[in-house]
Amino acid sequence: MKASVKNNIGLLSPQGFLDGNNTASILAKEDVNATASLKVEMVLVSLKKVIFFNKNGLDAFMKLFTAVRHKSHATVGFCDYDDTKYLAIKKFYAEDMNFSLFKTIDTAYLFTSNFKNQNKNILLYSSDNSQKTAMAIELHDNGHNPIVAKNQDDFNEKSLKAEAYDFIINQTFLGQMGQKIATRVTGNAIIYTVSSFLDVEITDKFNIEYHNNSLNVGFRLFIFDAYKVISMNVHALNFFSKLSSSAAEYNATVCFVGMTFEKTPKTFKENLEDAGILFYKQMDDILLNKDLLKELGGSSAANIKSKRNLNKQTITALPKFIDATVATVEMMTNSKAVKQSAKIDTIVIQDKLDKIASSIGYYGDLDGMVVLVFPKEIAKQACELLIGEKTDDLEMILDTLAELVNIVGGKIKTLLSDEDISVNITLPRTYQDVDSLIEVIEGRKGVQVDLSFNNNKFLFFLTR
Amino acid sequence: MITKDKIDAFIKKIPPASEALKETLLLLSIGELTKAAKVAQTDLALKSYLKNLVNKPIYGFRHEVSETSQIFGILGVSSSQQSVYNYMISLLSPDTWILFKLNKHTFSELQARLSTRWGKILKHLNIDDKDIDSSISLLPASIIISEALFCEKIDEVKLLKNTKALDYNTILTRLCGIGLFDICEQISKKWEMPEKISNIIQAASGLKPSDDEETNKLGKWMHLLLFYELSQSTFLEAGLNDFIDFQIDYVSDVYDEFAILMNIS
Repeated sequence: MKASVKNNIGLLSPQGFLDGNNTASILAKEDVNATASLKVEMVLVSLKKVIFFNKNGLDAFMKLFTAVRHKSHATVGFCDYDDTKYLAIKKFYAEDMNFSLFKTIDTAYLFTSNFKNQNKNILLYSSDNSQKTAMAIELHDNGHNPIVAKNQDDFNEKSLKAEAYDFIINQTFLGQMGQKIATRVTGNAIIYTVSSFLDVEITDKFNIEYHNNSLNVGFRLFIFDAYKVISMNVHALNFFSKLSSSAAEYNATVCFVGMTFEKTPKTFKENLEDAGILFYKQMDDILLNKDLLKELGGSSAANIKSKRNLNKQTITALPKFIDATVATVEMMTNSKAVKQSAKIDTIVIQDKLDKIASSIGYYGDLDGMVVLVFPKEIAKQACELLIGEKTDDLEMILDTLAELVNIVGGKIKTLLSDEDISVNITLPRTYQDVDSLIEVIEGRKGVQVDLSFNNNKFLFFLTR
Repeated sequence: MITKDKIDAFIKKIPPASEALKETLLLLSIGELTKAAKVAQTDLALKSYLKNLVNKPIYGFRHEVSETSQIFGILGVSSSQQSVYNYMISLLSPDTWILFKLNKHTFSELQARLSTRWGKILKHLNIDDKDIDSSISLLPASIIISEALFCEKIDEVKLLKNTKALDYNTILTRLCGIGLFDICEQISKKWEMPEKISNIIQAASGLKPSDDEETNKLGKWMHLLLFYELSQSTFLEAGLNDFIDFQIDYVSDVYDEFAILMNIS
């Protein structure tokens, strides 16, 4: 059983019956390893389509949870259950519940960095006071407005006015929350979430390879969401100073938001500022200030440092990249691709109207970036398969495009691994018009392949 | 990836029922067990299939049963008809499974498990109808169709499922506007199976409840039975657990009865 990934959550969705007879078959060893290797904030098991389970059935997932926590520190637990299932889990694991329970997947999303600062009104109740407080703090820290019911009667009464709240949370339990450094993308800015004590462990928790490749892909603004940081020691100071210096080579900016220096020496702040790190009180000070965003590099992403040539290895692997792209787009649009032309040069896009684009970086034994330029119509067709309906909502189309490019990236990874070439992929980036793409890859040489899907022109560009 | 043409080609490739099979089914439909057995044994593949099927442990016979007349005699009219249909469905199964980790043995095991438990359910519901008894045989056709249509695109499908957790029926319906159970229905028409069978199968998809109360009820039991079996180790390992979407709400009103009948605790 494989996890599907959405909004930074890896979700396993078993169906039917979970008991002691099938525990060994639910998750193969490779499934556990693959899930533990996911770069997500949470790994959850949905019980929505499980009609029966017993403790032996759920125990299969405990091994997975241990592996995930050991490898990635992500939050683990179950979601999508009804009252009966919730009580059963609490009873099975009363003494040793070190995983979380989220009544619905939407409740879980509220506790991830993807849904931060949305100022949602959330009615909250737990009969366990410490849980109630922990959830209220987490939600408040995540930029929401938790309304805590005093007791069950108060909760029942408030729940009657459901329209007054964006979400209602009950029968939810926060186990050990993740300590992984979460990553999310807002526009052209990458936001990392750090918390509690920043010490030498930051070097393990921070995925430097991912960060470097995000720089290579064209991200220029990196924000550390540090509202929940209590203090920082000298090892972390050195780490962030070096990070900022290396970012400067790309003309990128590193910022800290919400960091207080109550328990951290004030001189540390000066040292970090000397290294080029900027400090802001609120996330909105950056994200809502378009001029500042532009100045910091978060609205344009011109690539200054990295103009590297294609190498022999990349050219050799090129057919794999094209095959992966063509197979995926053919699958998603149910149409046949026709290759029209191929050349090595800087990207040339003849007709920029009604085109959107996406890029994804890869790194490891090979590194580079795949850029796909789509007519909106093809993206819409892909949407139909993924969400089951037609849409003109640009945001939804761009989201779908990101998922599609993620699939292309996954396919490339698989095809290359068949040749013993190991690569990882970055988060996909989307561009709502061609001009914003050009800002990133202007002047870069690469292989451009023009394809046609049902007479819609589609462009593949591979560069480093 | 998969087009309507590909589906049409798949259905076109399904051979019509042989004369021996047609005659066996005709004789069974009028209760002529002995005559039906005589015709059936002229089809050596059917004879061998029936022998392998009824000698599986799940049928619980102490001694090996080898003669077709003996098999039909033990099974009775309803189960004999069901077994012949099971055989016909097995003819569609591939020599080598790619999408699902199945083989002839495990597929036949699934057929046997579904058949015996379906019999138990019908007995519990006091239903004695040979067409309803036979309806279970068409259910595994949905697995064969998934295998046939998706096996060439296995990598793409796996990536798609990792991104969106879509089941094969949903993917097919979104791509071609036709679902796995619609194709099952077409197969049943091609083989001139009674209409009742395809109606129950459509209801058993969990997506197209029937207006007929009894058909709908049987659809619920069959949908639940399918997922009960697909939760067994062999079929979980085969990758069948999520090949279609389990409609938990659809079966909720028959679950308690099902759990008692199957001794689930």
